[in-house]
Amino acid sequence: MTTDTAIPAEFPPAGRSLGQDAWLRLRRNRAAVASAIVLLLLAFAGIVGPYLTPHAYDRIYPQYVRAPASLEAYPKEDAIVPAFQRVLERARVEIGEVEVSGTTVRAPVSSGEPLDPRIVRYVDRSDLFSNARLEGEDGNALAEGATSGVMVANVQRLRFLFGTDANGRDLLSRILIGIRISLAIGVLASTMALLLGVTYGAIAGYLGGRIDNVMMRVVDILYSLPFIFFVILLVVFFGRSFVLIFIAIGCTEWLDMARIVRGQTLTIKRQEYVQAAEALGVSDAGIVRRHIIPNALGPVVVFVTLLVPKAILLESLLSFLGLGVQEPLTSLGLLIAEGASNMRGAAWLLIYPAVTLTAILFALNFLGDGLRDALDPKDR
Amino acid sequence: MFGYVLRRLAGAVPTLFIIVTIAFFMIRLAPGGPFDLERALDPLIMQNLERAFNFDKPLWQQYLIYLGNLAQGDLGPSFTRRDFTVNDLFRTGLPVSIQLGGLALAIALVVGVFLGALAALRQNSWVDYMVVGTATFGITIPTFVIAPTLSLFFGVMMGWLPAGGWGTWRHMVLPIATLALPQIAIIARLTRGATIEALRSNHVRTARAYGLPSYVVVGVHALRGAILPVVSYLGPTAAALLTGSVVVETIFGIPGIGRYFVQGALGRDYTLVMGTVVVIACFVILFNLIVDILYAWLDPRVRYD
Amino acid sequence: MSQEAILQVRDLHVEFETNDGTVHAVRGIDLDVMPGETVAIVGESGSGKSQTTMAIMGLLASNGRARGSAKYRGQELIGLPERKLNRVRGEKITMIFQEPMTSLDPLYRIGRQIAEPIIHHRGLSAKAARARAIELLDLVGIPDPARRIDSYPHELSGGQRQRVMIAMALANDPDMLIADEPTTALDVTIQAQILALLADLQKKLGMAIAFITHDLGIVKRFADRVYVMRGGEVVEQGATAALFAAPQHPYTKMLLAAEPTGRKQPVAAGEPTLLEGRDVEVVFGGGGGWFTRSAGEVRAVDGVSVALRRGQTIGIVGESGSGKSTLGRALLRLLPSEGTVRFGDKDISGADKRAMRPLRRQLQLVFQDPFGSLSPRMTVGQVVTEGLKVHEPGLPARERDRRAIEALKEVGLDPAMRNRYPHEFSGGQRQRIAIARAMILKPSVVVLDEPTSALDRSVQKQIVDLLRDLQKAHGLSYLFISHDLAVVRAMADHIIVMKSGRIVEEGPTDAIFDAPREPYTQALMAAAIDGTPFRQAVQT
Repeated sequence: MTTDTAIPAEFPPAGRSLGQDAWLRLRRNRAAVASAIVLLLLAFAGIVGPYLTPHAYDRIYPQYVRAPASLEAYPKEDAIVPAFQRVLERARVEIGEVEVSGTTVRAPVSSGEPLDPRIVRYVDRSDLFSNARLEGEDGNALAEGATSGVMVANVQRLRFLFGTDANGRDLLSRILIGIRISLAIGVLASTMALLLGVTYGAIAGYLGGRIDNVMMRVVDILYSLPFIFFVILLVVFFGRSFVLIFIAIGCTEWLDMARIVRGQTLTIKRQEYVQAAEALGVSDAGIVRRHIIPNALGPVVVFVTLLVPKAILLESLLSFLGLGVQEPLTSLGLLIAEGASNMRGAAWLLIYPAVTLTAILFALNFLGDGLRDALDPKDR
Repeated sequence: MFGYVLRRLAGAVPTLFIIVTIAFFMIRLAPGGPFDLERALDPLIMQNLERAFNFDKPLWQQYLIYLGNLAQGDLGPSFTRRDFTVNDLFRTGLPVSIQLGGLALAIALVVGVFLGALAALRQNSWVDYMVVGTATFGITIPTFVIAPTLSLFFGVMMGWLPAGGWGTWRHMVLPIATLALPQIAIIARLTRGATIEALRSNHVRTARAYGLPSYVVVGVHALRGAILPVVSYLGPTAAALLTGSVVVETIFGIPGIGRYFVQGALGRDYTLVMGTVVVIACFVILFNLIVDILYAWLDPRVRYD
Repeated sequence: MSQEAILQVRDLHVEFETNDGTVHAVRGIDLDVMPGETVAIVGESGSGKSQTTMAIMGLLASNGRARGSAKYRGQELIGLPERKLNRVRGEKITMIFQEPMTSLDPLYRIGRQIAEPIIHHRGLSAKAARARAIELLDLVGIPDPARRIDSYPHELSGGQRQRVMIAMALANDPDMLIADEPTTALDVTIQAQILALLADLQKKLGMAIAFITHDLGIVKRFADRVYVMRGGEVVEQGATAALFAAPQHPYTKMLLAAEPTGRKQPVAAGEPTLLEGRDVEVVFGGGGGWFTRSAGEVRAVDGVSVALRRGQTIGIVGESGSGKSTLGRALLRLLPSEGTVRFGDKDISGADKRAMRPLRRQLQLVFQDPFGSLSPRMTVGQVVTEGLKVHEPGLPARERDRRAIEALKEVGLDPAMRNRYPHEFSGGQRQRIAIARAMILKPSVVVLDEPTSALDRSVQKQIVDLLRDLQKAHGLSYLFISHDLAVVRAMADHIIVMKSGRIVEEGPTDAIFDAPREPYTQALMAAAIDGTPFRQAVQT
């Protein structure tokens, strides 16, 4: 019978910590990995996207109010052609077939008399066209006295992949900004709740006794206050600002976090390895730092991934009530609220932001579930 | 048990007191007043109004007056809807909210527990995945997305149900569905998790080892423990549902008390806001107590003396 | 005359699908149980003994598969559909489990739980079933059964709960009872009572019993035949007496020889007293938060005096709730207490944390639970050197590492493992790590709180040997707290017997073991040591 001290040679010298174990388990969870990738992409889009889109999120295009989403740039070809024709009719020339390619529109023109080069003014005067010029068929400048040529003009074409909203702003850019704002608020509010909750809960749990009782009583009372109350009053008091919103949301989320951390601290305090550390003479601070916090992290991390979607949802609700971020800044909640009121006739205004928000929330939920399973595995 | 209930109720009074105080001073400290939103009134009329509503007195005195009224059950006059007192507004609005929320809660409980238990019994089957998937869906999609979508689809496009308003049972279907859906999702998930754990427990193993039929093993031994976390969840949830949902009442135009809070805060209708706070806090305290008692009834290990 | 076997198992395999691959818990075993006989399946943890019976009863976890044959009176049980299996289990074959705390449903009264199988299998009315339940409670020795029948499980003690389970198991007059470590979680004296009860009932009712245990003492007293399992296989089987007298397989030999041996010599009279407690009292108050029931005071330690001299090992024995662990911690000032505690010539009765800190390196503690006493997030090296960080903060990291290597070597572990994490080690290895953590500080007194109770017998022996070697090498003094009398006998030269917070008896080891004076001590010894045979073997 061998003693239990001999280690087979194939064991690696460095150990596999519980954290590494959890990481491996997480990697195997395909839904969680996919969610993490989606989240990273969306976050990237939110951070970098607004700089890459051709439109600023607050730029208004009065001529493109409520333009439906389209891959094709605006104005569409079937709008350009008749417009060009109408313009050229005023010039009283014969018009051939109008061609649109990219930002250039050309139409062969001819007339009984030599073409007056000043007819380009008719085209330039139109809002739609610019840089009008007469060219010969070969593309060079029109020869003197020619009776036929090609009228070429530039058309500013704008792509609105997701359409525009009721004010004529590009929805895609606004959604990207919305992602940025929503994620930022979600992360910031959750971070604040995390810091507040962990500190409060750890102190209450570690000190125990009457201090713990009092601290938790405070939490219970605050819990009885409806969330909306808090936030609305804070917003009404301080006005609508980005910073305030995430502080307000964080102030309500920390309660749950404090409860969880306190529960964890109480459980860990009773573990024998904490008693062993006391027997070694480790100071209170040392115990908290080396034993309590690392061991409490698991459920805390899982809870944070559930906090973020909650915070985003709360912010969306605020925006819906008209108490969220201020125009022209937008968040996904605000976009959805606008979309909801424009539902009839401009369904894309509701669909795209709703899908984006749903995707983010789904991804966060799956990631949170995956983390929970990875950190505390049981038979699924 | 009786002594415990009395103690809880007695302990509720200081809690309520603190909440009322915090609320009172917070709302009063906000800039603006109830009369700012209207066109400029004749200064004499303003003075009279202020005197009538005690605004000319110092704040702490107004606070005491309010407390005094509150102790007698008088929530004061509404500042923005000046023909009504807050008590009037609640008398008409509260039953509506309770009806709406109560039905939604009942439906959510029955459907949620059923689906959750079903998913747990058929774990990792397609039934399980569907329930979990739908539950995730229901939790993630915000109410203010579901509500207008349902209203649009069933109300306007299909015309099967009224898109808003309140009166007949038809008017109740969409708002109750909107309120119930996220709750069904949460309750189903809670039940599923708890049932899975219960099915793995030692006493369920004992029940199986003694050849008890499946419906007894699950129905008697597993489920009773599994609904305990659901019961705990119900406390604050019941309070929230029964005091009206801002979103649902706004979108469906339902005359409940849910809207009062936001409108009151925005319009600086102090008494209305305070009244709502008091009512909500009372409901929360009441339901937490009910839930604790229910829990003790279900679990004999938890007994208060 | 040959009888048909009640249970006939042939080539049974049990496998589990886990994240790390398939685990083969039972690898093709054969087993027979004859009517009326007692068969013991013995093995250490991980031998597959429990999974065998779980497979037979159709109670495997969802990721477990059984194949092979297990026939009850000719009827194949493996793979039997649940409805048919339910006619066998609970009626013909019943089972009692190891954890009486959790095996009963905490939400229902015991009367209802006992009546349930009666109603479902026998079709009796609720009233008739209740009457039968009261009968059964009386049979298993529950006092005042007519009133007790309406109790909830948490209102009963561990021993009483196990009796209730036995009542349930007997309700339908089964042919065979499977008892899976039924007494392991109980105190020694209660164990003896439950075993006596089972023997008595078997004599009265004549059913067969399959006894699963790791305790050879129980096997020797109780079983007619034995199956020894290891690693999922039956390595040896036979009639009890023959097996114990002449074991064949080396594993069986090792098991039988794993009783801790050796004795400790008493120390010279002139040795100074290192740690002393006089009239120590520890009281746990009741009344906590808003919702907890105030249970009133509990006097965990009630006026105990102990004096530990240098080089001595004092064994403190008692059952759970006797206060022995609490006493150990009070002496180390990890718990507040009344009375005087002296360490050397210092009075440390009122010492607070800061005052105690420099003394801590002299006074070390090794815990019972090797799984819980090492922080899961620290490497073994970090665990072992944590004490050095406190007491020698100026030590450079390299020197700390060197001492860690030394300490690990001394407890018989490979120092290359110090970068690994506690969960990668076995129970015995973790206990060695805990000992290394204590030893690295070169203490003079070590309090060992049930250091071997959570370990297998074979590993226990190694740890005992290790502790003895360390004591000799470093001149340590031990306070050895345990309920395991065999281990205490091998380790200690002076014994204190505690019950309900008080000292019942104390004296030199041999005196206590060979000639106990107090009735409680006598009962303790009788229950634990190989002594009176509990029943005679069945004559076939």
